[in-house]
Amino acid sequence: MSIRIIAKLDIKPPNVVKPVHFEGLRVVGNPSELAKKYYDQGADELLYIDIVSSLYQRDIVYSEIEKVANELFIPFGIGGAVRSVDDFSKLFHIGADKVVINTYAVQEGPDIINRSAEIFGRQAVVVNIEAKKWDTSWECYTDCGRVRSGKDVLDWAKEAEERGAGEILIQSVDADGRNNGFDLELCKAIVDLLDIPVVVASGAGGLEDIKEVIEYAQPSGIAIASLLHYDKFTIQDIKAFLRDNNIEVSK
Amino acid sequence: MSDIIGIVDYGVAGNIHSIKKAVEKAGGKALIIDHLSHFDKVDKVILPGVGSFKDAMQKLENSNFIEPLKSTTKPILGICLGMQILSTLGFEYGETKGLGLIQAEVKPMLVSAKVPHVGYNTLETSRNSKLLKGLEGVEFYFMHSYEVVNYTDIVALTEYRGHFFVSAIQKNNLYGVQFHPEKSREAGVQLFKNFINL
Repeated sequence: MSIRIIAKLDIKPPNVVKPVHFEGLRVVGNPSELAKKYYDQGADELLYIDIVSSLYQRDIVYSEIEKVANELFIPFGIGGAVRSVDDFSKLFHIGADKVVINTYAVQEGPDIINRSAEIFGRQAVVVNIEAKKWDTSWECYTDCGRVRSGKDVLDWAKEAEERGAGEILIQSVDADGRNNGFDLELCKAIVDLLDIPVVVASGAGGLEDIKEVIEYAQPSGIAIASLLHYDKFTIQDIKAFLRDNNIEVSK
Repeated sequence: MSDIIGIVDYGVAGNIHSIKKAVEKAGGKALIIDHLSHFDKVDKVILPGVGSFKDAMQKLENSNFIEPLKSTTKPILGICLGMQILSTLGFEYGETKGLGLIQAEVKPMLVSAKVPHVGYNTLETSRNSKLLKGLEGVEFYFMHSYEVVNYTDIVALTEYRGHFFVSAIQKNNLYGVQFHPEKSREAGVQLFKNFINL
């Protein structure tokens, strides 16, 4: 079973942006063009996350994505401001294969995980966790690392799994956008704790960082953003490097 | 004149549009079946599925699609949950009767590894199948927590961390795949070509 290499597009409509340390946003391109580009490079999946919609209580604008979602024959995970089962339905209708939920579930209504898993199947429900490191633990943050939740990351991850999440996308508030390596202990703690697949994001500064987190934490997937956006490496480069290091990747 | 491929839309949405695009890319004509009368207009049927067994059966019933699916002699291709509900019984969120077209039960994957099984994996075909022609050893995208338990109609198995499960079945006019051909790049398009050319 190969590890999934996932291209992650953070969206502030109508652009793909790159949050730096969850603070400033840089525009990096157009969603459909980048989706097509990473598809052609061999991405195993695409993740579209509208990272401002939740903060500004705006409905997500995904007309851009709808145009390409059905043309590219790989799975799409879509998220941003998902608050209800209706939101899930809407996103599946425009081409999502999985829906990513974060703020609403952790801050207000965790029950949405149960309800959506029962209707759409747990494989379609991805819970995104933004972890902020404290001395001996991690706390769940939301809205791009701006808002605290008071919830412990490991407790919440387990609760999300028990409620029916089919996958966890774990991000690190501290490591994101710094290109300085993953929070290895965080990634490992989550993977070891859970029985569902874990996708790790935040911190890839180079190929060695990717190899390191795969070997140390053994996640099911790895989500890459800036490395791809700034053309430091292509997905072919990443897969070729991992293959050379005896890590199984898809063709 | 080429066959018209009907894609059953019973309200679970999901991947219906990507299946339509993939069928068209494979050179087929696709028609979305969202009314009973549409079954007469198509030559072959694709039964997609995103969601849970119980919810899918309820929605098929609400759409009055159970009878036409049971009685048709046209080729049917069930995809993922669409293959699972061809079975007699499902155990997702309680016990639910399936279409009963294939003697099988649908149970949680019995594997000591992460479930759902998500990602690219290959097939090991156990008998010749026109549907899987040329696709042995090719990678397809899987995304499921339940598996079809069947012993008589297996066409392909897939290994996940030492556990072999049924990834493709065939019985008379019925075909089923546990993976998502519409999410499997060119390999999936090839599978739709094979289905069109059956």
